[in-house]
Amino acid sequence: MTALDETLSSPSGRGKEPLLRVENLVKEFPIRAGVFRKTVGHVQAVSDVSFELYPDETLGVVGESGCGKTTLGRTLLRLEEPTAGKVLFGDEDVTVASKPRLRELRRDMQMVFQDPYASLNPRIPVRDIIGEPMRIHGYSKSETREWVADLLRRVGLLPEHGNRYPHEFSGGQRQRIGIARSLALRPKIIVLDEPVSALDVSIQAQVLNLLDEIQAEFNLSFIFIAHDLSVVRHTSDRVAVMYLGRVAEIGNDDELYESPRHPYTQSLLSAVPVADPRKERSRKRIILQGDVPSPANPPSGCRFRTRCPIAQDKCAEETPVAQDLGGTHQVACHFPLAVGETLLERVESMGRTVDVAGG
Amino acid sequence: MSEPLLKVDNLTVGFPSKAGVVQAVTEVSFELSPGEVLAVVGESGSGKSVTALAVMRLHPKSTIITGDVQFDGRDLLAISEPEMRSIRGRDISMIFQDPMTALNPVFTVGSQIVEAIRIHRDVSKEEAWRRAVELLEMVGVPEPKRRASQYPHEYSGGMRQRAMIAMAISNEPKLIIADEPTTALDVTVQAQVMEVLHDVQKATGAAIMLITHDLGLVAGAADRVQVMYASRLMETGPIDEIFYESRNPYTRALIDSIPDLEGKKETLSTIPGNPPSLLNPPSGCPFRPRCAMAVDHCAAEVPQLVSVSAVHASRCHRIDDMIPAGTGVSS
Repeated sequence: MTALDETLSSPSGRGKEPLLRVENLVKEFPIRAGVFRKTVGHVQAVSDVSFELYPDETLGVVGESGCGKTTLGRTLLRLEEPTAGKVLFGDEDVTVASKPRLRELRRDMQMVFQDPYASLNPRIPVRDIIGEPMRIHGYSKSETREWVADLLRRVGLLPEHGNRYPHEFSGGQRQRIGIARSLALRPKIIVLDEPVSALDVSIQAQVLNLLDEIQAEFNLSFIFIAHDLSVVRHTSDRVAVMYLGRVAEIGNDDELYESPRHPYTQSLLSAVPVADPRKERSRKRIILQGDVPSPANPPSGCRFRTRCPIAQDKCAEETPVAQDLGGTHQVACHFPLAVGETLLERVESMGRTVDVAGG
Repeated sequence: MSEPLLKVDNLTVGFPSKAGVVQAVTEVSFELSPGEVLAVVGESGSGKSVTALAVMRLHPKSTIITGDVQFDGRDLLAISEPEMRSIRGRDISMIFQDPMTALNPVFTVGSQIVEAIRIHRDVSKEEAWRRAVELLEMVGVPEPKRRASQYPHEYSGGMRQRAMIAMAISNEPKLIIADEPTTALDVTVQAQVMEVLHDVQKATGAAIMLITHDLGLVAGAADRVQVMYASRLMETGPIDEIFYESRNPYTRALIDSIPDLEGKKETLSTIPGNPPSLLNPPSGCPFRPRCAMAVDHCAAEVPQLVSVSAVHASRCHRIDDMIPAGTGVSS
């Protein structure tokens, strides 16, 4: 809750120096083909992404599959080598740090992965899984033992659980173990990649609350990557919406959810089913056409234009750059919606039609 | 009220294992009327999918199954396998979560729909192919003529699910069982597929049994909902009564633990602990160990499903203490 209070008192924490500054980050993967695995092209999974992360805040990153959100998270920690751009942690560029220096930096930047079944080594006891980062960083055995026991308690498990193996735990408990491991070195930033999407809803709420508590207790900044817009709204102070490798819109959660300015953000929000039958019956849902295009062959100009109901000629010719809308709100669109304007109104004012459900 | 299309009475399904019988479905009874959309919700292991598989008789041979399943006047648990086969895909069809495993990768999408049609109907290949193209068009596959000759891997996830729906409705079934039909899809594509399912339901008048963990989908798509927990039916009723006037602590806790898109930041209410083992269920009410309202009596006896109204029933000893107003989601 501290994160929220602070962002409220100084709009989105701008009074403070950012902890992390990401500038024009690009990550390309080669496309290989043929017997000799020759490179025949590139997929730009993350293209030209810039944002800042402030102390104690949670930045949500949302988007559909293939939008580059997971690659973005991995590239920030250099689990993938960035192709271009900078990731500045304080004044230091993480993208050019040497191997030993990177190991030091990872004390401050940790990650929790989506799949609690795949991300924990099944052959070693939980105690060693959580203590491993400490062993690597040269803590003594007794120090490690004590801190691991504390961490287990902190994430809602028992110190005795340290002797067990990952398969003896449920999905929610495994995610708690992953969180305990990420906390072992008392990092400043944790990148959470879909931390609750493999969990049932009752367990998901437990883990989200735990994340809230440890964020306040350990003064953490989170980058919270997820596809579920409700979960992101619940956890995040600011939210970045990604589409095909680019940030379409970024803003604090009220700006973004209450007055989305990018047609993609509006369509995405409109597509989320809400667990409230009356609201479901009364609202009109914009149904986007088609699927997300292949990132190997993205559309020219604005990448959303092939599915955008208000696209014009300019959208195919020019790539929109992020424009400031005041405060922390930025949108990358040639024809952004006005405050309070719905996409449906814009579509109708242009004399076009769009698939609408419900209402 | 018309005659029910599907009437399930006291269905119990157990899977024998080395450690004992895993009780996946316990004494589940429900009815489904023609043209109705019934949602079955629950978390993993609640028995929602097994209930559907038992209705389709797609469970493994060793399964211990008791109870009664009447479909359109026939006893599905008693009829012969050839008879069942003539019902499957014609009168009852199923849409699975993962269309990639349900579609055969070595045949074209069109030929698979043709096969589904020709198993049940005596029509020529050409006729069936024309019908397949029509069906693909109906579910919104662009360029259906060309797409019919393509293989499943040439389809995107959303398109594959459309193809599955086309196949499922190819024989104008009376009942479509959709098991997590959009769980593998992105939210904008999910909206497309749910719209297709809705249109298909309107066009064919089929009843739909929608199995899902997503209460948002239920709120938008279903007429009635039944909530399952640890193999048992906990509550059943029309969606508004379940969402706004639930008389069951599990249903309420489930609804309350969903984060709100409208952004209230307070701590989410949670359900402590984990669902119980189906091998060794707790005594009494299965939700008792996690229930904030549990009293001693809850451990002694399994509560009965008690009627709240003609269409609403709940399984809870403290049903009279559950004041109907003020569930978490009412605004």
